[in-house]
Amino acid sequence: MKHIVKAACLAACSSALVAGVSVSTASADEWPTGDVRLVVPYAPGGTTDVLSRRVADLLQDELDANVVVENRPGAGSTVATGRLARGGRDVDHTILMASPGHTIGAAIYPDLAYDPVDDFVFLQNLIDIPNVMVVPADSPYDNVIEFVEAAREQNMTFSHSGVGSSIHMSGELFKTLTETNLTAVPFAGSGAALPALLGGDVDVSFENMPTVLSHIRSGDLKALAVTSAERSPHLPDVPTLTEVGEYSLDQFVTTAWFGLIAHESFPQEAQDAMHEALAGVMQREEFLSFAEQLGAEPGQVSGESFQQFIAQEVERWQEVAEQAGISQ
Amino acid sequence: MDMFSEVLHLFLSLDNILAIALGVVIGVVVGSIPGLTATMAVALALPFTFTMEPVAAILLLVGIYKGGMYGGSITAILIRTPGSPASACTLLDGYPLAQQGYAKKALKTALYSSVIADFISNIALIFFAAYLAKIALNFGAPEFFWLICFSLTIIISLASGSMIKGLLAALMGILLSLVGLDEVYGSQRLTFGNYNLMDSISFIPLLIGLFAIPEIIEFYRKKVVPHIKAKASGVGMTLAEFKRCLKPIVRGSLFGVLIGAIPGTGATAAAFISYSDARRRSPNRDNFGKGEVEGVAAAEAGNNGVAGATMIPLLSLGIPGDVITAIILGAFMVHGLTPGPIMFQENLTLIYALFVGIMCSSLVLLVVGNGAIKYFSLIADIPKSILFPIVLMFCVYGAYAVNNDTFDVWLMLGFGVLGYIFNRAAIPAAPFLIGFILGPMFEDNLRRSLLIGHGDMSIFVRGPITWFFIALTLGSILLALYRYFSTRRQSSRPGKAQETP
Repeated sequence: MKHIVKAACLAACSSALVAGVSVSTASADEWPTGDVRLVVPYAPGGTTDVLSRRVADLLQDELDANVVVENRPGAGSTVATGRLARGGRDVDHTILMASPGHTIGAAIYPDLAYDPVDDFVFLQNLIDIPNVMVVPADSPYDNVIEFVEAAREQNMTFSHSGVGSSIHMSGELFKTLTETNLTAVPFAGSGAALPALLGGDVDVSFENMPTVLSHIRSGDLKALAVTSAERSPHLPDVPTLTEVGEYSLDQFVTTAWFGLIAHESFPQEAQDAMHEALAGVMQREEFLSFAEQLGAEPGQVSGESFQQFIAQEVERWQEVAEQAGISQ
Repeated sequence: MDMFSEVLHLFLSLDNILAIALGVVIGVVVGSIPGLTATMAVALALPFTFTMEPVAAILLLVGIYKGGMYGGSITAILIRTPGSPASACTLLDGYPLAQQGYAKKALKTALYSSVIADFISNIALIFFAAYLAKIALNFGAPEFFWLICFSLTIIISLASGSMIKGLLAALMGILLSLVGLDEVYGSQRLTFGNYNLMDSISFIPLLIGLFAIPEIIEFYRKKVVPHIKAKASGVGMTLAEFKRCLKPIVRGSLFGVLIGAIPGTGATAAAFISYSDARRRSPNRDNFGKGEVEGVAAAEAGNNGVAGATMIPLLSLGIPGDVITAIILGAFMVHGLTPGPIMFQENLTLIYALFVGIMCSSLVLLVVGNGAIKYFSLIADIPKSILFPIVLMFCVYGAYAVNNDTFDVWLMLGFGVLGYIFNRAAIPAAPFLIGFILGPMFEDNLRRSLLIGHGDMSIFVRGPITWFFIALTLGSILLALYRYFSTRRQSSRPGKAQETP
């Protein structure tokens, strides 16, 4: 009997550990009136998740309320986003960390039950991570023009971290704009894709900057260009794709953006509170150094201009997905 | 000498020791709860490490990783519910052992083989990281393809009893693994328009359903309470058993190290490959699946051998091999450190301090694991009529917790029914799981190779690693055929002898 009691106590303790304890510190009269739920539309561990937890931590101070992170992965972020769009309980205390999956997902997943632009309010673009066009160290190509000329003559391959990732879509966009013979080679995540690039199994990739920055610095990979509008302070010698000035590459500006969105019925009062809190978060030293570590730049747009940016992105990726013949 | 004292200075602080101990404890507890994986625990712990010293921060996460890898085996053995995917293989022999009243023996075997494998893996990390990293870089899609082929041929050895049933189970596993988005074109396969199936069938609900639910159905169908006495206080692992298990443990650890060093394979595959290999070589082959300590040892050695080795591509190349090491990479970066060749030049003392800590974590795992066994094995004493409703609750919770979605609960119950049918029809679960895990790897690497080689088949024989695995695959098939025919000859002989008189 003693053993049973012991075991029961143990079970109770472990479930208490699982459930966690949440105590609200918010005052009753102004937003937030309870815990704020930050939905991460991906599994624990990715960039979106890590960023969300860092932001939640800082947002907690700014809002003086609990910010609870909840992972809801599935179908390239569209499951969680669809759930948010449907609204329901707590919708005025729920925010979601959106990323390129939000706009690309709208282009490649059929029958989405929501509109990626009109069904949401767009709070703040937090960070932008540029992609880098990288080739193996022993690649014979030293600049974009040499590469494009060669890839028009012969078949070449680019690696990516999964269908519909910003890395994949950047490759497809490059292929369309430059009219080159590039074949996409899918891998299960950047971790699995990198060895193929380092070992020379594939010819090029459009990886997120933080993934390849150390390899560029150590000389294991050669950076031909960055995909952002301006040169990156991390790689000041590497030109942007728009600087190439040929093959309509001036249209090639794309970053992996991360930002917070909420349901369209998110109250104005809450939007104002969030704007203020997020502006505070983005000035914090912890946030800036974290962004620096990720090789990211603090986000530029918020509110309506953020929404306009999303609308343009959705349109652009829809075109690329159609031309590449991806899904739908 | 300066370096030595610097390393010790960096490592020997209360914070570091506490971080390892805390990490392993959290890992074991979380790992043992179905549906809560070490991955989740590491992700949840990450924000707390931002304010810690780098060495303590990384050691905390590594501790959780290692604890979680072992913790999964506890519930797998005791209640037939794998706490994490990698422990599904441990269950095949661990649970039958517990059923026979040897829960403690199974738990101890799992612990000792985990600790030894962990230790071997750490040694590989510390002394052979550079060589293994080189192999990992040369391990492209075609090499991977042949490794999977070799692993698939091992299924032949797992199909105990009826070969037909084994193949049937394996094919069903492969069929179910096809569900989801096509990796190359992104088109939907067998999803029937259901968005829940787009990310393919979740592995944890499948495991829980396949193993835990049939036991519960069986119990309530028979409504007899099996009287198995003195399980918690039963005997541990004997010295003779330990000696017998040593070879499978070492081989399993080496499988784990190789698979862990190559980004993107994972501990579950390592456990099954090690288990199949042990079964093929063991003189007690026929006892596998019925409660064989060697089976438990091989499975746990396989999955724990991965833990230290996944740090090899991370530290030496800056490449995370799985989600957990990706999170650990994040922790490095938050502290302004970038794993890779440069870190070995710039922060060598820190790396050595980490190595010392990682070695210590094996020891801590032994201590914490022993403590955990003492308390967790009490579960074996709870009467089944009280235990099973609690297990059922955990099954539902575990399936739900993976994606926070009720769809997975239904999926789990569906697989429960399938598992029950498997039990009644004596269809083995191991080939089914191997098909489910290795099937997609086979397909992806085949297609990847063809894409890389622009459709040219010669890529499949491009270098020594491919030749090596082709030889192993052919050898494995020939060995299986030889065994098959020689056992047939042996079994037909006494039959004839009876006819003659």
